Amino acid sequence: MIERLSLLYPEIVLFLGACLVMVIGLSPKREVRSLCGFASAGSLLIAGLLAINTSAGNTTPLPGLLPYVKAILAGVGLLLVLLLSGVVDRRDEEEIAAGRRAFSAMRSNRAEFHAFFLFSLMGAMLCATADDLIWLFLALELTSLPTYVMVAVSTRGTRAQEAGVKYFFLGALGAGIFLYGFALLYGGTGSTNLAQIARELARQGAAGDINPIAMAGLMLAVVGVSFKIAAVPMHFYTPDVYQGAAAPVSAMLAFVPKTAGFVTILTLVSCAGWSYGFVDGRDVYGAGFALPAELRIALWVIAALTMTVGNVMAVLQTSIKRMLGYSSVAHSGYMLVGVLAGAAAGEESGYSFAQSGVAAVLFYLLVYGVGNLGAFAVLASMERRNPDGELVEADEFGDVRGLCRSSPLAGWTMVLSALSLLGLPPLLGFFGKFGLFSAGIAAGDYALVVILGLNSAIAAFYYLRLVAVSLLDEPQGSTYAPTTILARPLAGAVSALGVIVLIAFAEPLMQAATKAGRVAPMTLGVSPEGVRRAQTTELPEPGTGDRGAPSGAPAPEGEHDGAGH
Amino acid sequence: MSTLGEVNLSSYLPLMVVVLMAATFAAINIVGTLLIGPKRPGKTKGLTYESGMNPVGTARKRFNVRFYLIAMVFLVFDVEIVFLYPWAATYPNLAMSDPDRVIWFWRILFFLFTTVVAYVYGYRKGVFRFD
Repeated sequence: MIERLSLLYPEIVLFLGACLVMVIGLSPKREVRSLCGFASAGSLLIAGLLAINTSAGNTTPLPGLLPYVKAILAGVGLLLVLLLSGVVDRRDEEEIAAGRRAFSAMRSNRAEFHAFFLFSLMGAMLCATADDLIWLFLALELTSLPTYVMVAVSTRGTRAQEAGVKYFFLGALGAGIFLYGFALLYGGTGSTNLAQIARELARQGAAGDINPIAMAGLMLAVVGVSFKIAAVPMHFYTPDVYQGAAAPVSAMLAFVPKTAGFVTILTLVSCAGWSYGFVDGRDVYGAGFALPAELRIALWVIAALTMTVGNVMAVLQTSIKRMLGYSSVAHSGYMLVGVLAGAAAGEESGYSFAQSGVAAVLFYLLVYGVGNLGAFAVLASMERRNPDGELVEADEFGDVRGLCRSSPLAGWTMVLSALSLLGLPPLLGFFGKFGLFSAGIAAGDYALVVILGLNSAIAAFYYLRLVAVSLLDEPQGSTYAPTTILARPLAGAVSALGVIVLIAFAEPLMQAATKAGRVAPMTLGVSPEGVRRAQTTELPEPGTGDRGAPSGAPAPEGEHDGAGH
Repeated sequence: MSTLGEVNLSSYLPLMVVVLMAATFAAINIVGTLLIGPKRPGKTKGLTYESGMNPVGTARKRFNVRFYLIAMVFLVFDVEIVFLYPWAATYPNLAMSDPDRVIWFWRILFFLFTTVVAYVYGYRKGVFRFD
């Protein structure tokens, strides 16, 4: 019991941080209040350090997820704290500083805003620790519930409120769908424990077919969670919410719930397939893929539609925020290619980055988080006063025209972020996309890889347009000025630097992702032979196995049967 | 571990009997009052029943926001008590030598601490200021 507790240290630190922030953010003293951001950053830093030193779990089908996901959440979370400074209470604080008004705890939102941010990150981290459906559901909701409020209070005026209400109702719909899926999954497998669900599904798959109730549950769960990752059947909120919320909050929405959603999808899908599909050295679901056919087809269609709809709609936008919203949809589609590829050729693969779709997804989450944050940071760094005296962020393409000349830091941040999101070779984004492509090819899913390639070409159109507008055009009397909150361009600059500097660390990061994406060996076979295999076959450490050389083709089923015959 | 397909439904027979009894009881009561009960309808009797209050005025009346604040603070402490009961009922049954005893103790202290944080937050926010 107590050793399980040590897996939760990062979450506990974040929780204590949230408690502290909630209290000090309401202090009548201005200096104490302004410590909110530092307290959030401090708790995230400690949580991140603890996460790196956390040992992998041992109760979930994907035991390695936990340190990696928590570390990237804490890392990008630190940048988000910088970016989120000054989102709420800015005008009030200015008036209080000028002595026009006294501090009123009831009107202040800062404490809640920062605490909710920490709660949301905590929920995403808990998703990675979850080994039970109920835990998974609560963690997902803990990720999302604070974000609804954060969207609604992020700017003054009706637009953010509209976005918040839309986000809340569609979020509730998504939660209802995947909760129903979880209930059916429990009905079809007889357990809420993920490891037991995985065993039961493998047993059913090997015995013939997966129980239709369990399969319906898996489908509903995947569709419901696609709300969190903004994938196609549940993507409709994305542009409206991203545009209505303040840019820093949109940057957070594109990373934290998406990470939580992908962790959940990976966990759920790993229960039904990949290594678990290969029991007894035999692909129990047939068709050469380790996923059950129904789930595979559903994910395939979702992935293809998500990429295409996201990219085509993004091309049509005139608002950068909406464009980034649709591109967030598209990026989810790219990552679903990795989910489909899974641990590529079943249990014996998954130790080489180029083959493991899970590793590619995990690495891409970091790549996308860093690149996307830069683009939103630029929008948050440019503002002007509207006739009501409210500060408005840049949003249209015209607002960033000639940005590289008028304010070089913001301009180059935009250029680098857009090029990284596009996946241009020297930048970090390329390595992320490379992983997805190679995993898709290793899994033999050429049709989807072609769709991925075509979509990357469509994405080039709008990302290069963003680059061209800010780099090549002349500045034309823009009314936007750099913000007075220096933390925001700083966050952008760090993320722009990140897409270059992290290239040097791409190798260790990929290795970490590969380790994180390793699927636990099946511990319960279906036949005596399967049991013996499960006892004798352990996954080799990355790079140490004699099969370390990546091979494109999925391993044939006879390859590992030497011990069995 | 059994799945829905493998469950022996006959083990649910007692449950079915209880459901049937409940439904029959309700049906007999409703039909019985309709048949043999006296009927003296009046204006007050025909009103909507809402916790004994007379439903007058618009339904879209705005409540003082304090109503919700108090309700939420009440919930915090109410839920705390709900969680304290099972803990208090189980804790004395742990053997003195049980190593889990310490964990159980600190766990409930941590839980109480979260309530204290909620209380301090509410106090700072001005929830308890009635002016």
